[in-house]
Amino acid sequence: MFKLNLKIAWRNLWKNKGYTLINILGLSIGMASCILIFLFIRYQLSFDEGIKNEDRIYRFVTDWKYDAFDDYSNAVAIPAVKTAKNEIVGIEKAAAIFRNWNIVRVKDATGKDVIKKDETIYYVEPDFFEIFGMQWLYAKPTTALNEPNTVALSETAAKHYFGNAQNAIGKNVTMGNKTLLKVSGVFKDMPKNSSFPLNIMVSYQTYPNKNDECWDCVSSGNEFYILLKDGLKAKDIETSLAQFNKKNYADRKVAGNQNNKLEALRDIHFSEHYDNFSNLTISKNQIYGLGIIALFLIITACINFVNLSTAQAINRAKEVGVRKVMGSLRKQLIVQFLTETFLVTLAAMLIACVLAELAIPQMENLFKGNIAVGLFQHPIIFLFMLCLVLFVGLLAGFYPAIIMSGFTPALAIKSKIMLNNGGLSLRKVLVVVQFSIAIILIISTIVVMRQMEYVQQKQLGFNANEVIMVGVPNDSLNRLKHENFKERLLKIPGVKKVSYCQDAPLSPNINSSDFTFNGIKNKDFEVRRMKADEDYFSLFDLKLIAGKLFAKSDTANGYVVNETFLKKVHITNPQEAIGKTINSTGQNIPIIGVIKDFNDLSLKDNISGLTISAGKNSYWRAAIKLDAKQIFEANKQVEKLWNSLFPEQIYYSNFVNESINSQYETEKIMGILFKVFAGVIVFISFIGLFGLMSFVATQRTKEVAIRKVLGASTLELVKMLNGSFLIMVFIANLVAWPLAYLFVSKWLSGFAYRIEISIWPFAMAMIISMVITLITVSIRSYKAAVANTIDALKYE
Amino acid sequence: MIELKNIEKYYANKGVKSYILRHVTTTIKQGEFVSIMGPSGAGKSTLLNILGMLEEPTYGTYEFMGENVTSLNERKRIELYRNHIGFVFQAYHLIDEMTVYENIEAPLLYKKVGSAERASRIANLLDRFNIVAKKDLFPNQLSGGQQQLVGIARALAAQPSIILADEPTGNLQSAQAEEIMQLFQKLNKEDGITIIQVTHSEKNAEYGNRILHIADGVVKGDVQV
Repeated sequence: MFKLNLKIAWRNLWKNKGYTLINILGLSIGMASCILIFLFIRYQLSFDEGIKNEDRIYRFVTDWKYDAFDDYSNAVAIPAVKTAKNEIVGIEKAAAIFRNWNIVRVKDATGKDVIKKDETIYYVEPDFFEIFGMQWLYAKPTTALNEPNTVALSETAAKHYFGNAQNAIGKNVTMGNKTLLKVSGVFKDMPKNSSFPLNIMVSYQTYPNKNDECWDCVSSGNEFYILLKDGLKAKDIETSLAQFNKKNYADRKVAGNQNNKLEALRDIHFSEHYDNFSNLTISKNQIYGLGIIALFLIITACINFVNLSTAQAINRAKEVGVRKVMGSLRKQLIVQFLTETFLVTLAAMLIACVLAELAIPQMENLFKGNIAVGLFQHPIIFLFMLCLVLFVGLLAGFYPAIIMSGFTPALAIKSKIMLNNGGLSLRKVLVVVQFSIAIILIISTIVVMRQMEYVQQKQLGFNANEVIMVGVPNDSLNRLKHENFKERLLKIPGVKKVSYCQDAPLSPNINSSDFTFNGIKNKDFEVRRMKADEDYFSLFDLKLIAGKLFAKSDTANGYVVNETFLKKVHITNPQEAIGKTINSTGQNIPIIGVIKDFNDLSLKDNISGLTISAGKNSYWRAAIKLDAKQIFEANKQVEKLWNSLFPEQIYYSNFVNESINSQYETEKIMGILFKVFAGVIVFISFIGLFGLMSFVATQRTKEVAIRKVLGASTLELVKMLNGSFLIMVFIANLVAWPLAYLFVSKWLSGFAYRIEISIWPFAMAMIISMVITLITVSIRSYKAAVANTIDALKYE
Repeated sequence: MIELKNIEKYYANKGVKSYILRHVTTTIKQGEFVSIMGPSGAGKSTLLNILGMLEEPTYGTYEFMGENVTSLNERKRIELYRNHIGFVFQAYHLIDEMTVYENIEAPLLYKKVGSAERASRIANLLDRFNIVAKKDLFPNQLSGGQQQLVGIARALAAQPSIILADEPTGNLQSAQAEEIMQLFQKLNKEDGITIIQVTHSEKNAEYGNRILHIADGVVKGDVQV
């Protein structure tokens, strides 16, 4: 029976090739998108999985509660590491891991550098390896990093430095200029889906500041992990932790209600407040969002299926009737129709796998190689595909099967079955739902694209065209060369201006601090303290509106503040501000100038209160303004000069505008995803519409023919056939608008600087959807309208 | 075999009852070949549908093989279809997606006949109706008469005790029609299968041994031939 069902199903599908193609095409594209989304979500959820005691591993994080705002850090104060181990009960093992950047070199016998590379290094306590159950290729796990001046390398790093992993043991690498480190172990590479991109791990005892006693200094690279004793959970040590917090922060009067909390290992990747070493966090909301889009996609594809199947049901009515009088139970008919659906679904799944496989490289590209997904990565992917087939098969097949198997045989045999004669049929509702989804996505895509355009074109209040930022070493020795470097830079043809600074005007890398203004402690906001030399203002074209700029100086002797700062301390006339003092460093320093506001953070944030002052010790970058015509040549000259002046170091530069744009990476990816998914859903919806239209046209062939005989023109007939579809799409627009409005306004609220939501994206979505609908259905209705009348009327 | 008592069928439309059948009372015995005749709209087909349990009468009782089947649940009705009743239609109603062979096989599959038994029964039927050569063709590759032969073969496959035929020759040319009627006669005489057919043609009615005349839903005459 099953075999026959299969055979009949196959013949039926073959007979209706057009509809089958539409069904399979729509379903496979929808499924492929779903598979890709699933792969992505599974990959994200797999972060840091498979560590032996993962449910007992926690990270110490630090929270602050100020009056006006909260702050969060993934790191701890250095003395907390030692103290926590002693004071908190229930810790089995604990280990600090501190991130740092340094130059790592491998020298040959004569002392010449063979390899010189800027690397991220981690100072770790030996217990770290045991907490995380890391696998060693060579070395004794327990002793590897017990001594100062030892280093453990990942397999990749070892190969890079010494050719092969085994060779590396016992060899030396140089960190910075003179710290010699002995390689005491090689560990297996960390997987890509890890929050710990560890390559070079230096023993904690080598860490120069390990005895630091500053409880309110929390530097973002200093993480601390603990492994709880067997059977304990975070809440079991809550009291102990509270005591620890009281004793070490509250009792010491550390500012901002600073305290430590525990964060479970598997939450790190989804943390919204706390960063991590891999910089790859994703919020659970984003994952849910993607899941919803996947659901949308699959529903849209299923709707096609349901619509086409129920539309075709009339053709199958006779068969149903005959089968029933031959003794088929309704159940058996349902099984037969479901077999057909599953055959289609299965075929679609196979095609979807191929499509997904083709799309994976594009997807990895989109995420800049930060993800590694594959169809054969994990058995659960097959389970998912199986579930998807079952889900889609049932969702798409069940309703039509119920409808078709329910025909009364006496009527069915005489082809007197009428489906949905007038009224609000399910099919119409489904088309409206489908198009509402499509239209929501069209509107969202337009808004996202416009916002990104706006972000790119918005005047930021400074001019960073043709400005490159070059990293400069800033240790006490190299600092002496700064003056010389600047002078020689200015002699290079094509270099117009040079300024030493902390970073470009728009940068997240500026620290902020609480302060007293004119002797009164400010509790409303923290001031961002930007350090730059006197040429910074003219180089970036920052406009002075009151007072004067500071003169050449090594340390801060006067602040230039921005308008926002004045607004926040309630001063309306810039002139009034001149001479007032700010204390954020322990020193009272007067305001000497006020500049016009510029965007100092990405457009997601408002302009902050800002002070700019000289501060030689913070000059990590040189901003260099180049002549537009000689950029390429001058750039090369700059690099050459740099290398000759700082031979020990590694040159690094980038254009300011590029790094500003890179701040919108997530939004850009989101924009692309929206475009792709909107495209897919729109495509699926419209092929479904085309299928439905073909069916309606066939159904009404006779009516059309009779009307023609009565004198209707082709245009009138096309209009008649198109009418109901245009109305459905119009209603879908009305349904979609409020939903889309809610969504886009929520998304835009994430930007401090955003476009106004106008009627245009909505109107455009309507025009687009109506025009495509018109074209799609007209292709088919025109054909029906010009068909030969005699053919249609010949029968019966 | 069949006992109809006071069968009525009407549709109520805005309080007005429009009768299709009125006071139909009759008995059909095993082995009879009954032709139901009458003008268009007389209620012939409705009567046949009621006999075939495709429609329920509004009123009255219907006993089939001593069992009251006036309103029967699906499972029991289908049990009767599988074992006792074969249908033949004016428009043949073969399943387009199935070959001749598969069409004949379908009722046997529903009846859960074993595969060896199935093959031999079908071979037998194909042979008897001279359509062995056509077994792998699809219905649309056959002439109307051939299609109707397949239709009858299909109805016979489950070895029913009664065949209900709704104008079985209505779409056929006279030569083919004659062939089909002879076949019916033969089935009735040789195999003892009860046959009830609806027909317009006096000539076809002659093949049977009893004629029921219906007009306006009422049985006007019951003639033994």
